Amino acid sequence: MRKSKSLSALIFLAIGLFLLGLSNFVDELRVYQGAQIAVYVIAISSIILLTGYSGQISLGHGALMAIGGYAAVLSYTYWHVPFLIAFTIGALAAALGGFILGMAAARLSGPYLAGTTLALAVGLPSLANQFHILGGEQGLSFDIGEAPKWIANKTGGDFTQYKWFFWVSVVCALATIWFIKNLLQSRFGRTWRAVRGNPSAAALSGINIGRSKVLAFTVSSALAGLAGALLAMLLGLVAPMAFTLTLSFTIVTGAVLAGVTNLAGSIVGAVVLVVIPEFTDAVATHLGGSEKISANLPGLITSVLLILTVIFAPNGPKLHKRKKANN
Amino acid sequence: MLFLDTLLIGLSSGAIYALMALALVLVWRSTRVVNFAQAGQAILSTYLGYEVMSVTHNYWVSIPFAILGGAAIAAFVDAVIMRSLAKRSHKGSVSEIAPVIATLGLLGLIRSLTGMIWGNAYLQYTSPLSSKGYTIGSHTIPFSPLNLVIVVGALFVMGVFAAIFKFTNLGLALRAASFQPEISRLAGIRVDRIRTVGWAFAGAAGAVAGALVTPTTYLSPNSLDLLLVSGFVAAVIGGLDSLIGAVLGGLLLGVGFAFILQYIGTSVTFSAAFIILILVLFVRPRGILGSKVGRRDA
Repeated sequence: MRKSKSLSALIFLAIGLFLLGLSNFVDELRVYQGAQIAVYVIAISSIILLTGYSGQISLGHGALMAIGGYAAVLSYTYWHVPFLIAFTIGALAAALGGFILGMAAARLSGPYLAGTTLALAVGLPSLANQFHILGGEQGLSFDIGEAPKWIANKTGGDFTQYKWFFWVSVVCALATIWFIKNLLQSRFGRTWRAVRGNPSAAALSGINIGRSKVLAFTVSSALAGLAGALLAMLLGLVAPMAFTLTLSFTIVTGAVLAGVTNLAGSIVGAVVLVVIPEFTDAVATHLGGSEKISANLPGLITSVLLILTVIFAPNGPKLHKRKKANN
Repeated sequence: MLFLDTLLIGLSSGAIYALMALALVLVWRSTRVVNFAQAGQAILSTYLGYEVMSVTHNYWVSIPFAILGGAAIAAFVDAVIMRSLAKRSHKGSVSEIAPVIATLGLLGLIRSLTGMIWGNAYLQYTSPLSSKGYTIGSHTIPFSPLNLVIVVGALFVMGVFAAIFKFTNLGLALRAASFQPEISRLAGIRVDRIRTVGWAFAGAAGAVAGALVTPTTYLSPNSLDLLLVSGFVAAVIGGLDSLIGAVLGGLLLGVGFAFILQYIGTSVTFSAAFIILILVLFVRPRGILGSKVGRRDA
């Protein structure tokens, strides 16, 4: 057991070093997209943790990401904390929001929870217009600056800000997956699976169902908050427009495409989310389509994929295959 | 006087929420699915009405087309997507949320489709009615002919639905199919088909809501998102499986919003839906007229 743990730690380190090394050999745009993928990986795995393992659904994770983003930016701007601390504050703030929401969520089942979180996703970002400190529709700018000298010097060459974003995002994403992976193997992970599998049996064996659900919601929200802070870093600002209902739907889509019970799938889901707009742009330019078409084609394709996935492989492509093999 | 004015404003927006809630409740009762795509279906049927109006230049002619279109879209959605979904994903860890995800996907699909066809610009779908309030004596009340048509139209639709459910064989079959699908099937009701009819009714209600509310604002691929949320909150207030509850919930919510707007300010309207929803779920989770078995898992 111990051995396999250190082995997987080594694998994680190897992946990390490989990705960071890779950033030297691809152009700026790809580096930026790599950072986007890393942010999506965090957001999607927060949904996978919540939906796949604890059996709750959230259409409001975009709002929790907004909490994380705003908290990070505000603490960075007004308290002048280092940006990593600001990210942590963002995650904690979202966790607090998620804890309160989770208290309500634990009492709700499927569609009620979906509707409640949907109402949050619609309502919360518009709050930014009401408080002067949140910067209204324009939002607040966020600039974590260039990479520290000692990193930039060591790698040599020009160390652009996008590359620095990429490094930060990738390290956070790997740390997140590492954290969730271990959490799911711990007592909490087993508890969540028991509650999802059979709530009555879980309650009879002494599990406090409500508490377990609230905990899952809180942890998931913290990760969403981290993703929100990273997204703010990539965009260079936080604004209501960055955390729309579409964002909430997008990450749920990513999680479903990944197969909601498959943590490794979060990478697949994230890549799909970033690749689709790229792909449709190419198609639209090739066909010489109008702006109407190219703006809406990504949404169309992801929606169709989402519907097809949920009809034909509701438990994710991978798990579905395995089940067939067993039969 | 201010109090009465606010009440009137609330009633007219509440009538729209009630229609949307009605659409959600009709689907929930027959298939245990909250149809988040309802906003999309309603927007599509409203665009249809818009197209008809740009040809005929008559608002009143466009409404029946929008209603029929809304019913057809809903029937199509149920027969093609929801039915195959129900057949395939009744097991597995995500079976409970699969319909939610499917309707979300559908919402996204319709939004992008309408965006592709009509663009994301704000279109005007106007009614010939004046939106200027009636004047009683020297006082102008904030209740226009447009508002009057909204309220009367919404009440009319609700009345028709109530009559169908109460007095016709079709209504009996609808009630039976949602109450006990297995036994209804044994009694010779084609449950699948009846469910599709239920969806079509819901689609029609949503279409009426879209066609009535759009003249007061504008038409764009996501201009009905907020209405979806309000409709959902209204449905939950009413208990989610009661038609009368949905109507009462919609009116209550409309009046509540109007008072919040009047006495607290515009700044809280968006968040108010969420706060009201949370309050209802904590204080009276089964709504004012809902049945006892409800939203708790265990």
